[in-house]
Amino acid sequence: MSPAGRSLRRTLALSGKELRHIVRDPRTLYLALGMPVVMLFIFGYAVTFDLDRLPLGVLDADRSPESRELVRAFESSGVFQRAWDLSNAAEEAEGHFHRGRIQGALVISPGFGRELGAGREGQVQFLLDGTDGVTAAIALGYAGAIAKAYQLRLLSRLSLELAPPLDARVRLRYNPEARSTIFIVPGLIALILALMMVLLTSLSVAREWERGSLEQLFATPAKRLQILIGKLLPYVALGMLQVLLVLALGTLLFQVPVRGSLLWLLGTALVFISGCVGQGLLISVLTRNQQLATQVAAITALLPTVLLSGFIFPIENMPWPLQALSTIVPARYFISALRGIMLKGNGPAEIWPQLAALLTFALVMLAAANARFQRRLD
Amino acid sequence: MGPEAVIEVAGLTRRFGSFTAVQQVSFSVRAGEIFGFLGANGAGKSTTIRILCGLLAPSEGHACVAGIDVARDPEAVKRSIGYMSQKFSLYLDLTAEENLEFFGGAYGLGRRALRQRGRELLARVGLRERSAEITGRLPGGMRQRLALAAAMLHRPRILFLDEPTSGVDPRARQSFWALIREAAREGVTVFVTTHAMDEAEFCDRIGLMADGRLRALDTPDGLKRSFLPGEMFHLELSPDRSIDALASQPGVLRIESAGAAYRLRVEAGRFDPEKLRALLGPAAVRVERVEPDLEDVFLEVVTQARGEAVP
Repeated sequence: MSPAGRSLRRTLALSGKELRHIVRDPRTLYLALGMPVVMLFIFGYAVTFDLDRLPLGVLDADRSPESRELVRAFESSGVFQRAWDLSNAAEEAEGHFHRGRIQGALVISPGFGRELGAGREGQVQFLLDGTDGVTAAIALGYAGAIAKAYQLRLLSRLSLELAPPLDARVRLRYNPEARSTIFIVPGLIALILALMMVLLTSLSVAREWERGSLEQLFATPAKRLQILIGKLLPYVALGMLQVLLVLALGTLLFQVPVRGSLLWLLGTALVFISGCVGQGLLISVLTRNQQLATQVAAITALLPTVLLSGFIFPIENMPWPLQALSTIVPARYFISALRGIMLKGNGPAEIWPQLAALLTFALVMLAAANARFQRRLD
Repeated sequence: MGPEAVIEVAGLTRRFGSFTAVQQVSFSVRAGEIFGFLGANGAGKSTTIRILCGLLAPSEGHACVAGIDVARDPEAVKRSIGYMSQKFSLYLDLTAEENLEFFGGAYGLGRRALRQRGRELLARVGLRERSAEITGRLPGGMRQRLALAAAMLHRPRILFLDEPTSGVDPRARQSFWALIREAAREGVTVFVTTHAMDEAEFCDRIGLMADGRLRALDTPDGLKRSFLPGEMFHLELSPDRSIDALASQPGVLRIESAGAAYRLRVEAGRFDPEKLRALLGPAAVRVERVEPDLEDVFLEVVTQARGEAVP
């Protein structure tokens, strides 16, 4: 057999063996294919940042046509639901807030309609439960928008000639209904890959260190690069399978669009996966121990991907040290590239900086892991 | 004398930080020989074997395996040796056949050659009927034989076996040693480490390691002759009786106690069982002449190495 043939044969033997490990221990497979589905359902249905029927307490002390119209405007928005009618202001609202029956309260003081009719300022109080800051901020935005629309309607009714001085029309591009699933699916792909790829590869190599089978392998004439590539190839394939799974489910269940090229999307994913696999390998080479490898993988892959990638928390809002730290988190570039490809239809012309960053990360990780993956035992 | 040396080691030393695991070890092994490496855990056996297999670089000294300097070209060494590491290193979730298939692939064997060789070896190690079983479910002795088969796939000239029979029952050990002897008859050189002294009797020559140094090197009989001159007796005394009556007798070389039993070594021709019985009186329950075994040699060597040797 030619040297090239022998080399290929060795790599394939390793891949085949690794594939058998994966198939023999269905837990790995369940985890690899089950977790994306479960996470997609959780993030798709349960964890949504869209507000839907937030319970609202209403105190209309005015009971004028104007005040009723304002209450109706809140009710018909779909964002708020009139949950309780309050009879007196502060104490009762406080009680409901404490019991969690309402998350917001609309308080209209007596004389609201009269003041408006006279062309003066009408006073309305809007209280929000601030314990959940994200929800409160979103609710506040909606409340402001409802009040503004109400105001415009009033103005046009009062004096037809008077046009509002500024008419800002906001339109959300790429995600007109501001659906959070569309925003979350790219992040979810990154999270699943970062977690699973780093964890699975670090465990698989650490297991061989622990059992001593790697020593047995090192005593064969197989080259370390052949051992590495052969071992890692099945995990890269598994990662690509996960990407396709999440994409398929996201498209079918949540109508997540893929406006750009699927080929570029998969290519970018491949580069990201290579980086994750390299990271997992580096962890296992340094720890040589499954338990430690799991912990290090969770800390170095899961945490940054959830917290510092822009998946949930916008990077622009972070203090500068965290922003600086986020520049070495590969998921940051991957999520940004994915969102670009999927939602904006971006291609290589737009995503090349992210792609370059991902490529750099992958090369650094694989080179470091390869260098540490010594043939000789110490 | 005899055929050429396939393993030549001179002044081999390996340090781990400030600890010296192997110190100035020199020996050579001839082709077709079964060479036993004996010693307690931590005596430096595994470190030596790893250096010879190209897995570990020596700190000092030279080691040539199959004519190749292991420090200079460890990769070339790996092609002509088979190695069975101390830990059980097959994949327990693969079948016996799949394990062989995998290691054959790692050695770069072609698919057809591998299938034929695999079948041949499975039959040879007595696993033909169980080749489709998951390795983890096979009994320890069979796994050990399978690991040997895996190390022999590529027809190596030299086999390095590091504690191949640790943790298996005596019958499984015997069948394993039958395989070792069969390989040696075919001209394969076998370098085997063990701490089971009864196994060491099967070796052509034995090197005794203690504290990283090679303390003795000879055939089993040669070792017994040079380290245990004289005759040996096995004594059993009734409890609470002392052996002191013998200790002061002229011609007594050494008394080793093992619970209520003793191993007594004396100058040749000076004692017989009757005389010993007479000396011990009613305390003697059992007195018989025995052949010295390697356990006795080992104890003697270790004792001498520690500088406590009785003159």
